[in-house]
Amino acid sequence: MGTVNVEGLWYTYPNVAEPALKDINLRIKSGEFILLTGPSGCGKTTFCRCLNGLIPHFYNGEIKGDIRVDGLSTKEHPTYELAKHVGLIFQNPDNQIFSLTVEKDVAFGLENLGEPKDKMVKEIEWAIDRVGITPLRERGTHELSGGQKQRLTIASVLAMHPSIIVMDEPTAYLDPVGAEKIFGVLHTLNKEQGITIILIEHRMDLAVKHCNRIIVFNKGQVINDGSPRDVFTADETRVIGVGVPRMVELGRKLRQNGIDINIPLDFTEAFNALAPFFKECTPSTTKEILPGLNDVVGEYGYSPIIQLENISYTYFTGVDALKGVTLDINRGEYVAIMGENGAGKTTMVKHFNGLLRPKEGKIIVDGEDIAKQSVAAISRKVGLVFQNPDDQLFAEDVEEEISFALRNFGYGEDVIRERVNWALNLLDLENYRKSSPFILSGGERKRVALASVLAWNPDILILDEPTVGQDYGQKERLKHFLLQLRTQGKTVVIVTHDVEFVAESQPRIVLMSQGKIVVDGAAKNIMTDEKTLKVCSVAPPEVTKLFSRLDKFGFPSDVLDVDEAIDLITRRMKRAKT
Amino acid sequence: MSLLESLRFTKGDSPLHRMDPRVKFIMTMIIFTLSILFFDLIPLMVVFVFQIPIVIYGHIWKEWLKSLKGGAVLAVIIFTTNLLSFYFFQGMHLTGGMVEYSLSLTMRFLSLITSFSLFFLTTSPDKLSLALEKAKIPFEFNFAFITAIRFVPVLAEEAQTIMDAQRSRGLELDKGAFLSRIRKYIPILLPLIINSIRRSLELAEAMESRAFGATKNRTNLYELKMTKSDYLALIIIIGALIVSLYARFYLSPFPKVISGTLLI
Repeated sequence: MGTVNVEGLWYTYPNVAEPALKDINLRIKSGEFILLTGPSGCGKTTFCRCLNGLIPHFYNGEIKGDIRVDGLSTKEHPTYELAKHVGLIFQNPDNQIFSLTVEKDVAFGLENLGEPKDKMVKEIEWAIDRVGITPLRERGTHELSGGQKQRLTIASVLAMHPSIIVMDEPTAYLDPVGAEKIFGVLHTLNKEQGITIILIEHRMDLAVKHCNRIIVFNKGQVINDGSPRDVFTADETRVIGVGVPRMVELGRKLRQNGIDINIPLDFTEAFNALAPFFKECTPSTTKEILPGLNDVVGEYGYSPIIQLENISYTYFTGVDALKGVTLDINRGEYVAIMGENGAGKTTMVKHFNGLLRPKEGKIIVDGEDIAKQSVAAISRKVGLVFQNPDDQLFAEDVEEEISFALRNFGYGEDVIRERVNWALNLLDLENYRKSSPFILSGGERKRVALASVLAWNPDILILDEPTVGQDYGQKERLKHFLLQLRTQGKTVVIVTHDVEFVAESQPRIVLMSQGKIVVDGAAKNIMTDEKTLKVCSVAPPEVTKLFSRLDKFGFPSDVLDVDEAIDLITRRMKRAKT
Repeated sequence: MSLLESLRFTKGDSPLHRMDPRVKFIMTMIIFTLSILFFDLIPLMVVFVFQIPIVIYGHIWKEWLKSLKGGAVLAVIIFTTNLLSFYFFQGMHLTGGMVEYSLSLTMRFLSLITSFSLFFLTTSPDKLSLALEKAKIPFEFNFAFITAIRFVPVLAEEAQTIMDAQRSRGLELDKGAFLSRIRKYIPILLPLIINSIRRSLELAEAMESRAFGATKNRTNLYELKMTKSDYLALIIIIGALIVSLYARFYLSPFPKVISGTLLI
């Protein structure tokens, strides 16, 4: 039970020339915890669909080779039979919850299988207990938070007692603490129930400590397969741009500098490897005082471009989403807004261009009170890019899509042509000028959405969750792009859960929780304040976790970025040698 | 819209919530029929007042008042248009009888709202679907019905997001002539439709993965069982129906409340 055997698997989607999977050969043993990774469009999701027979039964297309799950051929057995062996869970929980209450949804699969009622009740109780949602049993499914919904989807497949659970990016929409909880649930299922776990994930830093094997896909092929340490240090993996956990990166670079601490997978391993090198010393009390916000934004001379004065907002459902928020964002600043799911982050940025109007308080953009201005008028200064490009793309081709806003703002044809060319060029979309936005990949669609806002060159750019669903390479490009915008004097605000992204670009951070701003300051100050972060369901980056422990060896505790960490450790080692 | 909004099921635990949905449905239909059957103010008031103890019995008087409030505007419209049409079409005068007739029509409307509230406010869609299943309606239809209810809030939220995204790109829905305004909805409708198609594909995939269609003999977590109190309720309701029918056909005409003298 819990085994997968794949031999010479080729698959081509209907009406597509290029095969999505090319000659896959894999053996998965019972009880393994496997991470599937690779750049977007590499075939990992297609592979998962093969595991429970969605391919070929649901998708048709051309399949060659053999795939056996628990010894059953997926070609010969229909998906509903395989469902008892493989639980497949998709990215968006909303599209796989069918019922109106939690227990009824967990029962859905069992009802389909025709199980008697008393057996169902027993299985439901067991499954919701395993994933820790027993108190939610009678709740309405629409009342659940994102993390709770995702745990419900696990319970729903678990109730059918699969020997394998396959999850496609379960944590994409979750805050770091919610994501950790999901990994925790999978970890226990793997360890205690012996269920084989196959997980697609881009959040390497969190996922890596649970898995014992990583399979890397690229262009429909398996290009690497092995233990996390081997895979992450292999050249093939690095070349295609798979995200490598920060601690692995640290170990690898230190080794290049002549310091061998092996390859740690998380900060505890790194700490245990590093500790023997250093002598304990009392933390230096003369620790250099960190520069305050004043110094950080000093060069812009404190000229606020967005000012929120004590704003409050209540949704018609009666939820107080914002409770008295006061915030100044200065010209040319780079700000990240973080906090738990439902903290009010998106609600707040929707006030910046007038989509939402505060129940109380005042908003000033570029020196003018925006209460009387239309959304269109404010948007000329404040460009807001939404999280999901599918919520805005509609035009025939990319060129039309980008000129949509320019036409709304009433620019002349000459200007439109020029601006469209500029935006296409800037985001490397020139080749797709005449393509329909709907046939592009997720990452490309995201870039089109960004281009369609950048086209009118707003002074302030706001990005809601720009890194969600993006692979490592796309995130890297985005990071450089944002830095480039800053050098042009643009004010950039991002709403994000991505701690590592923030740690590497080090913006000013505004932490929110329950409709209020909890703390506001430089990334270095905030990312090292573990207590406050916890209140907002944010976990510090791995590097920071390591350095907060290395503190007792006299290292500064406010280190966010791997390069800085490597530099500090190397210099310290060299000093010790001389 | 607030009228429809106020008819949405909220969870509760009362004898009425626990009542078998089939019995409850029969009850609602009987109240509905009675409200249509009578034309006079007094019996309609009796039908209306008769429902108040049931409302209290179901612990839904707060929600019920809300639905009455939602229906208040319509009630006023019904009353005034009736009165005005009497006034203008019956020779520019008004009698007490006309006022009473308009009042009884309004009372009928309120009675209908109450009967719907009794059913929809206390019957979860899950139970409703179970009742449909017992009525031998194929599961596919039943499932479509539940899915529709389940996705109303999801779709509403998505429509709002799309609207926000396009307004952020300078789309002004409330500007321009009627025809050009309709055209402006294309950037909102297109993503909504495409997302819905994509969503239905994902839903189908997820259903397959949860063994949808594995057996013809699908079971249900919840079961419907007529209890003693359900039978008792059924007897009371049918008794009430018989009494009312007797009253309607053998005791009418009913006395008037307002004297039929000329008012204006």
